[in-house]
Amino acid sequence: MHHQNKIKMIKVSNLSKTFGDFKALNNINLEVKEGEIFGLLGPNGAGKSTFINCMSTLLKADSGTIFLNGIDLNKHPNKIKKLIGIVPQEISLYENFSAFDNLLFFGKLYGIDKKTLIKSIEEILLLIGLENRKNDLIKTYSGGMKRRINIAAALLHKPKILLMDEPTVGVDPQSRNQIFSVIENLNKKGMTIIYTTHYMEEVERLCDTIAIMDAGNIIAKGSLTALQKNSNIKELLKIKFETITNQQFHDFKNQFDFNILQKDCEISMQCTIEKELNNILSYIINNHLKIVDIDRKKANLETIFLQLTGKKLRD
Amino acid sequence: MIKIIAIKDLKLFFSDRKSVIITFILPILLITLFAFAFGGIGQSDENKKIDLLICDLDKSSASKDLNKALDSIKGIHLISTTLEKASNAVRKGKYVAVLVLHKGYEKAINTGNEIPLELKYDQSRAIEVGMLQAVLMEKIMQKVSKKVVQKNIEGFLDKEFAGMTPNMKKRILDKTTSNENGASKNVVAIKMTAVLKEDKEAAPNYGLIQAVAGTSIMMLLFSIAEIGGGLLDEKEGGTLKRLLYSPLKSREILFGKMSAALIIALLQLIVMFGFAWLAFGLPIFNDLFSLIILIISVAFAVASFGIFLVSIAKTRKQLSGLSSMIILTMSAIGGSMIPLFAMPSIMQKIAVISVNYWGIQGFYDIFARHLSFTELLPRIFVLLCIGIVMSIISLRLFKRNLLKMMN
Repeated sequence: MHHQNKIKMIKVSNLSKTFGDFKALNNINLEVKEGEIFGLLGPNGAGKSTFINCMSTLLKADSGTIFLNGIDLNKHPNKIKKLIGIVPQEISLYENFSAFDNLLFFGKLYGIDKKTLIKSIEEILLLIGLENRKNDLIKTYSGGMKRRINIAAALLHKPKILLMDEPTVGVDPQSRNQIFSVIENLNKKGMTIIYTTHYMEEVERLCDTIAIMDAGNIIAKGSLTALQKNSNIKELLKIKFETITNQQFHDFKNQFDFNILQKDCEISMQCTIEKELNNILSYIINNHLKIVDIDRKKANLETIFLQLTGKKLRD
Repeated sequence: MIKIIAIKDLKLFFSDRKSVIITFILPILLITLFAFAFGGIGQSDENKKIDLLICDLDKSSASKDLNKALDSIKGIHLISTTLEKASNAVRKGKYVAVLVLHKGYEKAINTGNEIPLELKYDQSRAIEVGMLQAVLMEKIMQKVSKKVVQKNIEGFLDKEFAGMTPNMKKRILDKTTSNENGASKNVVAIKMTAVLKEDKEAAPNYGLIQAVAGTSIMMLLFSIAEIGGGLLDEKEGGTLKRLLYSPLKSREILFGKMSAALIIALLQLIVMFGFAWLAFGLPIFNDLFSLIILIISVAFAVASFGIFLVSIAKTRKQLSGLSSMIILTMSAIGGSMIPLFAMPSIMQKIAVISVNYWGIQGFYDIFARHLSFTELLPRIFVLLCIGIVMSIISLRLFKRNLLKMMN
């Protein structure tokens, strides 16, 4: 998705928040363009939820500013509340109410008239694929279904910005895919989304821009490609030959200055592929080696995170 | 193995402060309270005294003499006042009784006629009245009856045995009036008058009023604390966070919860009094308007108090321990468990700090003392004040705790 010409929907400058001696947010700066899905990736305790709570007006930051759609959050919290929808980490629904009654109640809090609200509920239930279960009590729903209603409750007032705080925690892969579809559909309609998670595959799939958070700091920011480029982590290129002798492998290895391993007829190379690919392929063609299969393993967020923080994402 | 499990459970138990409080502190607190309530401990002679109003309409030396004698009784604290003030005070339940020494008291003693003594009392405080009557009779007998009997016999002897010598008469009088088991017993009677409105003389059922008023307010406090606890459930379940995400203000959330508690409190009181009317014939229609206003005031005070409890608790578990302790204490002090009149005067004074007291006494005012709506207003005012103050404190605590909720 191209957002070059889009307006800045979110602008956070020098945002800090401490709880006693604990610095939950340390001078956070970020910008999100309209219609962008912005991923906030970090382990538990990184400061993602504190950031969402500040964005949602629930928590007052110690310093810094937040502008949403050009509106200063500190000055106009009530305007902001109507502008944003928030999907909290926990399933915040009344278990003994039906899905419809839950949505009706949460919608009424935004002062939406009943007719418009009912229409909105029907649309959202259709979007999340639960229109047939709308009259069932939430307590009869599966975890994944509850998660979808949890998202629906944040959409009733048609917010421009959706803040999603780890919306897929504890759901099965099928429900996760359904939730991803919902998010992608919302994004297609132009909604700006901030998505926090500690699952890198979610960010890789959904987000245009990613910020990696650790211990209250944003330690890296950009598109996945940019992050991969900027990191010094080399990709893994695996080439399987029809045959390759020990001498041929030895000659091949001497030709390049990066790590090359051999396993039967397959050789693995840890290198910057964009830079080395032409040289590798030229050597193979010139030496009449016959390729059977090529596999390219890109550097992923997990490896980037590991490199940046020295720890695993789900520690 | 059993030992290991037992030690583990004991460690768990003693590490749970709430369990320790409920197991040890709460019973100790209640024992202390009940001991105070029944006058078992900590009562000085002054505190054990019953306040008795006295109204001397005779203003003779004999009446002053009785005044002095009564004032010397250890168990009674005598307060002189006018008849009108005294009757009003007793009718409103402020004092248990007024002893009226009517005009002609001295003359009656000197002539041996019926002594014009009257005890106007609050019928809702039967136990106190009984105790008072016993103490008064003993003293008045000592003071008055010997003289009355003497005069009676003297009159009889003068009339029937006109020629009797003074010496003979004295011997007869000495013999008859010195006999402890003789005629001097029960010659003086105190006229007992229950202080009620003239048009509503039907004797109220005090036991029923106490049972309905006392129980309903105590149970109401428990159920409102439970309803208010829903707010903590919302906090723990995350729905409170969603309410706070919306444009709702924190006061709207709190007062919304309080409104629900108020409605349920009203319904609960209506059902309880309706049941008392249907099953036991409690005359709820005698002054329905006052009853409705009082029920609304009690419901408001209790709902606010329930929300206050919720505001100071951080978790559901904390609330259940806290509400048990505070509600049981207030109910013990305020007269829900033990009728107020059965408590010593110091406890009756302390009782005013509890919501139960104002509610229960309000219901006594309607069903037992038959006070008019205007006379009921001070109690209603206090209940409304309790409600307003509790609401303001709850709102402040709720707002202050909001930040903590989000951490």
